[in-house]
Amino acid sequence: MNSLRPQFAETLTKLGHKDPTIFVVVGDISHGLLSDFRSKFPDRYRNIGICEQAMLGVAAGLNVTGFNPVVHTITPFLIERAFEQIKLDFGYQELNCNLVSVGSSFDYSKLGCSHHSYIDSALIASIEGSKVFLPGSKEELDVLFKENYNLPGIKYFRLTENSHSAPGLTLGMGTGQNAVLRRGSSLTIVALGPSLTTALDVSDRLLELGVSAEVLYVNTFKPFDFSSVRDSVAETRRLVTLSEISPIGGLRDLCFQAISGEFQFEAIDFSVGNFVRGYGDYNDLLTVANIAPAQVYEKILRTFSLS
Amino acid sequence: MVQNKDLRLKIVELAVKSKEGHIPSSFSIVDIIDFLYGNVMRIHKQNPDNPDRDYFILSKGHGALALYVVLNKFGFLDDKDLNSYGSAHSILGGHPDRVSTPFIEASTGSLGHGLPFAVGIALGCQVQKLKNRVFVLLGDGECHEGSVWESANIATNQKLSNLVAIVDWNESANQLMPIDDLIGKWKAFGWSVTLVDGHAPEELRQAFAQEVLLNKKGPYVVIARNTKGKGVSFLEGHGIWHHKIPNREEVLRIQSELL
Repeated sequence: MNSLRPQFAETLTKLGHKDPTIFVVVGDISHGLLSDFRSKFPDRYRNIGICEQAMLGVAAGLNVTGFNPVVHTITPFLIERAFEQIKLDFGYQELNCNLVSVGSSFDYSKLGCSHHSYIDSALIASIEGSKVFLPGSKEELDVLFKENYNLPGIKYFRLTENSHSAPGLTLGMGTGQNAVLRRGSSLTIVALGPSLTTALDVSDRLLELGVSAEVLYVNTFKPFDFSSVRDSVAETRRLVTLSEISPIGGLRDLCFQAISGEFQFEAIDFSVGNFVRGYGDYNDLLTVANIAPAQVYEKILRTFSLS
Repeated sequence: MVQNKDLRLKIVELAVKSKEGHIPSSFSIVDIIDFLYGNVMRIHKQNPDNPDRDYFILSKGHGALALYVVLNKFGFLDDKDLNSYGSAHSILGGHPDRVSTPFIEASTGSLGHGLPFAVGIALGCQVQKLKNRVFVLLGDGECHEGSVWESANIATNQKLSNLVAIVDWNESANQLMPIDDLIGKWKAFGWSVTLVDGHAPEELRQAFAQEVLLNKKGPYVVIARNTKGKGVSFLEGHGIWHHKIPNREEVLRIQSELL
């Protein structure tokens, strides 16, 4: 379990050498990690303080003058507080930016719900011309950022502080492709970003009962790879969606769109529908949110009558 | 004496024809926008995207008609496009849109977006040592928005001497927030401030003189004492006319005052 932030800093600095248009705007966060970028490219780095609305508007203006802005702060402040700036200044005006948030869902587990965000991915996905990425490992972040940062539109990268447990399995994934990490025939578990850890744990437990679960991994939320979901559930006819984000416009909705009446299937969704009112560490809050491995396992057995 | 009677008549004509428009707000700012395009800004009619141009951002987007008639006057916008204002396939609507209209620099309408955007353009030009200047016009009611002051603070800290804000101080804010020391606020945020009568060309000439703009060390704001509805007695002031379209008889009265 660790943070993707150091990889973000490393990837950004490498790109900064090659690409003189990258301009980093931060909201008083990650100064230490980004000090290398700042010292190498002082003209193209601004910490403009704690003012998320203006930060987004300033970034849009920078884009007009030819810079490719990378805007970085804590998830709810970047996406939820400044949502109208993102929608209008970039979406409506057809300008380009990279939004890089830190602290997905409830990574700031001891800080309370002010620092949580569950709906950010759906909000950004709702804007025309956007792309949304939830990389679960540093290697995925490096690939997704390099492949997309220079494309037009709004590119949103949500950096988890709890990367998943199987970085070796997701090497080589590119933008917009889901990966089948385990083959199985009884059910399909679709896991988003850091939720892969839980998906693999649950599939191990199921295998001990002789139940083979297909594990399909998603790190590109938009554009979504619909066909991989349809193909897998067409075989298993059981869908489990597993994410740390809201069910409203979330992973289940995308998977249902993928299948859209083509065949019958059973489904269970694990997502975050309410404030996660608790403290402790990340794993404690998975339990508060009813999406910890043991809870997921039990509910799958009960719902699909597998035990 | 009322300037730009022809532009005011055209604003009314367009609003009446399309049944959309904020006439008093447009009358409040049309003299300043006309002055900036005619006397201050570097503009390129043949190539509006010329990289040397100065930027004008209408942050109080509901005054769009004032901008459109000025753009028409200076040859950016042809009569056909202007006269299609507000119709289904027009490039011009009740708020400016940079995507549909190439010589409009910002899509506004939601207040509080224009100044941060202008600060970003000014910062981008400053970093690249470009000579462009950025002019942004805000409403006094718009100055209730927190994003205005967030970006006013950034502009000072980034020493944006290429940025000029104009506040249309027509006392819209005064209806709700009568304690409204705009001059003191902008000074407190580190801007240099000039107060003018925004309908008086001689005062605008002094406020926007090239030597004034060249010698400033940071961001500069021209606070313009304007009259909402300026030029037509019964449109002046506040109240129902903010977003009302005059009927035939009222149009005749407007014309009789402006002709």
